[in-house]
Amino acid sequence: MIMLQQIKYISLLLAGFITLSACEKVIDVKLDNAESQLVIEGNITDQPGQQVIKISKSVPYTENNTYPPVSGAVVTVTDDNSHSWTFSETAPGMYTFPSLKGETGRVYTLKATVNNVVYTATSGMPAPVGIDFLDVKVFNFGGDDQKQAQVHYKDPAGIANQYRFVMKVNGVQSKQVYAENDRLTDGNDVPTVLFFTGNNDDQDQLKTGDVVDIEMQSIDKNVFLYWYTLGQQSSNGPAGGATPGNPPSNINNKALGYFSAHTVSKKQMTVQ
Amino acid sequence: MKITFIFLFTLLSSVPFILSAQQRVTISGTVKDGATGETLIGATVKLQNAAQNTGLATNAYGFYSITAAAGEYSLIVSYSGYQTSTQKVLLSKALTINIALVPASTLQEVQISAGELKNENVRSPQMGLNKINMKDLDNVPVLLGEKDVLKAIQFLPGVKSGGEGNTGFFVRGGAADQNLILLDEATVYNSAHLLGFFSTFNADAIKDVSLYKGGMPAQYGGRLSSVLDVKMQDGNDKKFGIEGGLGLIASRIKAEGPLVQNKSSFMISARRTYIDLLLKAFGDSALKKNTLNFYDINAKVNYKFDDKNTLFLSGYFGQDNIGIKDLFANDWGNTTATVRFNHIFNNRLFSNTSLIYNRYSYAIELIDDQSNAKVKSLIRDLNFKQDFQYFSSNHLLRFGLQGTHHQIMPSDITASGNSSINPLSIEKRYGLEFGLYLSDEWKLSEKFNLLFGLRLSQFSLLGPGKINTYNDATELISSKTYKSGDFVKNYFNLEPRFSASYTLNDKNSIKASYNRNTQNIHILNNSGTSSPTDQYVMSSNNIKPEIGDQIALGYFKNTEDNGYEFSAEVYYKWLQNQIDYKDGADLTANAEIESLLLYGKGRAYGIELYGRKTKGRLTGWISYTLSKTERQFKGINQSSYFPARQDRTHDLSMVAMYNLSKRWSVSANYIFNTGNAVTYPAGKYDIGGLTTYYYTDRNANRMPNTSRLDIGATLKAKETRRFQSSWTFSIYNVLNTKNPYAIRFRDKENDPTRTEAVQTSLFGITPSVTYNFKF
Repeated sequence: MIMLQQIKYISLLLAGFITLSACEKVIDVKLDNAESQLVIEGNITDQPGQQVIKISKSVPYTENNTYPPVSGAVVTVTDDNSHSWTFSETAPGMYTFPSLKGETGRVYTLKATVNNVVYTATSGMPAPVGIDFLDVKVFNFGGDDQKQAQVHYKDPAGIANQYRFVMKVNGVQSKQVYAENDRLTDGNDVPTVLFFTGNNDDQDQLKTGDVVDIEMQSIDKNVFLYWYTLGQQSSNGPAGGATPGNPPSNINNKALGYFSAHTVSKKQMTVQ
Repeated sequence: MKITFIFLFTLLSSVPFILSAQQRVTISGTVKDGATGETLIGATVKLQNAAQNTGLATNAYGFYSITAAAGEYSLIVSYSGYQTSTQKVLLSKALTINIALVPASTLQEVQISAGELKNENVRSPQMGLNKINMKDLDNVPVLLGEKDVLKAIQFLPGVKSGGEGNTGFFVRGGAADQNLILLDEATVYNSAHLLGFFSTFNADAIKDVSLYKGGMPAQYGGRLSSVLDVKMQDGNDKKFGIEGGLGLIASRIKAEGPLVQNKSSFMISARRTYIDLLLKAFGDSALKKNTLNFYDINAKVNYKFDDKNTLFLSGYFGQDNIGIKDLFANDWGNTTATVRFNHIFNNRLFSNTSLIYNRYSYAIELIDDQSNAKVKSLIRDLNFKQDFQYFSSNHLLRFGLQGTHHQIMPSDITASGNSSINPLSIEKRYGLEFGLYLSDEWKLSEKFNLLFGLRLSQFSLLGPGKINTYNDATELISSKTYKSGDFVKNYFNLEPRFSASYTLNDKNSIKASYNRNTQNIHILNNSGTSSPTDQYVMSSNNIKPEIGDQIALGYFKNTEDNGYEFSAEVYYKWLQNQIDYKDGADLTANAEIESLLLYGKGRAYGIELYGRKTKGRLTGWISYTLSKTERQFKGINQSSYFPARQDRTHDLSMVAMYNLSKRWSVSANYIFNTGNAVTYPAGKYDIGGLTTYYYTDRNANRMPNTSRLDIGATLKAKETRRFQSSWTFSIYNVLNTKNPYAIRFRDKENDPTRTEAVQTSLFGITPSVTYNFKF
């Protein structure tokens, strides 16, 4: 976390000096086109109501961003207390169960049968950790003041916790992946800055009047590894970032995506 | 093993033969620059008459020793950039002749006929060696006018740049941490200032730079791919002088002079950047809160007790500071100190004893009100080296030993009570490394030269500490606590080194070499370029020493009175026990870091062509490398070979310098290379409403090619006897080529149903000017 912060700060600071001479342009690149892969995105939350498992397919890079839904799958979720829920397809590729509330301490197992292949994944729901409050942190990186959203929460002492944050600014989801654990912050009041990078990377800060919605999820270790690895791919440090790869999925049979049982805490603020 | 015995037997059996050469007479001495008293490293010394023609190059302290049959000879001494000295000597008893060479002005050099002397590159069995002429550095145009040895070596064949404007480098397919970078024998762990845009080497303080890419002599050990041996100047022992330079982003000053006439001299050189000071001067109030600078100091003193005993003290200190007020501060730097004692036992046996300290450390401080914490990390070595050189008529024996104590402090986090970060100290690790070596440069005949040797290297991981053992699946299988002084794990390796040259005639030779190197200090980094927070690990019960084997074949040719040098070398290299880490590994302050590592192997091969023009108004060189570099790791890329990031198939560099007149000289560089091997997405899918990329084969794609032309000009102001000055003008990337630095993918702004690739380029056309003075 400290390193990530340091890398972020250094790149932002250098951005102030180097981008004086740096420039960006859109280029044509030669790419391989991979075969379509199965993608499962499953969430079980501690919020009462509808739970959704989404099944779709990847497309070659060169095609449109329309991802074919996968219909006709048999999707069930079970827990370690002999409960079982059969999800039904309410829209193409969308498998839902109308009223299910995940419980802390339970381990959930997803089983999705698609074209006679059975995909399974398990995820344990951690204890809930809530957002204490949100505020705006003002940075000064070489140029004007820059406003960023900051989440405050109290990490429970003595146990390993992992978190993921989802930030929406004026209803539009930030393209950054925010995941962290308490390896260095166990038991403390933790402030975390969620650096906003807009729809495009030139929109890199908040403005007065922006409405910011933040969802905090308590996630298990495997789901954390998924989000953390996915987040590293998009980090553009001074060295150009790590070699990208597919984040390790907790679903077997080479499916892409994840299955996450997590708790949810939400807060909203308007940037002053 | 059998081969090793035969090898040792051959080596040892040659000793009595050397010792029996009694009827011969030895001439020895030191070669110096007549104007400054600096000893000249690698000057050619020849003893010639009708019957005999024998010669060698001076050692790292300018010493030579030639043994030949009694008689009358010409003693001819030459060195690039100096007038050749020729004198008659009557060899009847042991002679000591110290030689002072007179520097040649560039235009003078045209008329000097060096004879058939400067063909050391053809004759010597050493291959894979490139030297940087420090005088060339004054003329080669560079980014922002900061002349830099690490950028200059990137123009050499087989050396690939770490990236745009970066001082990191890769040699013959090796990784960036496989270069042994020495400054007056001290290891420089991180040679980058300002995240790699500048190197730690202040060119003003440097006398000699040698880069060994292959055929590593046995006295060097500890890294797989190359040795960059940088030696500092000793300081003018004739007169006091000051020189310096004012550049766009940094200024330098150097003072040198005699302390005791002809016995002792000193040199001190300092450099500081002032990017932040400049911005403050321009009144940018926001930038006043930020820090961005580096400085370094090189200093050296020597004392010559008598002709046989000399003491050298040298040191380096450098630091980078980067920070934002009330938010964070980050500093890093190297410190080195070297004490050396030269002793000439007799006119054939030269000894050097060194005690060396070196350390690299960094600190990151978060000075935020809520997350007040400081992380410190360091790597520190204490070294002892004893080296002997024994000169006889047909042999140059070199033997000695080296001992190093390593300490790594991975990270030590301190925090105030109300900080969101907890204090955490990761155990220090200690290691002991020994090297024992013996080599012989044997002149078998006029045509056939051998350089062969053996290095025995030993590494021990020492206690105290809690040591975990992981199995092949990186699962913890046992854990044991060791006391101080306990040996946790020992490794022994035999490293044969062998080179041979066969001169077809004075102008042509073929050479072959084989060498094995091992490495026990590793950097965990898969992004390819160096970072100030690079994590160092030692070989351990889990991490095996890296092993590299290289074979090379070469053809060397000089023409036009050695005015043109040409070489072609092919190499093949095998690398074992290479290290990478798992996806998503968090290496920071992690006590179980060894559970995150993956081990694999590598192979690299290529051909290097190099042509150099050394005389006349136009000088310079062209180098071209065609190469392939691959790695294989279990669990990466379906466990099959993939190209390393720096696998650039074609790599071309040209450097040209032209003397227009006594006052004006102009220069140009041109580089072209294939793009880095990178991983582009092959597909995409939706996760939580965001476009997410699907990757298949690692590094299967290519960044666009890179090319760049830089030009420069130097104007010497009218010299007076006491004051010299010059202006260096340069334009980096004069064609304003948009070279790729990073490429990322995003949804199109005006059509979110499509994705696009965006390339970031760093430096467009960048002019600079530097003023240099000397008095």
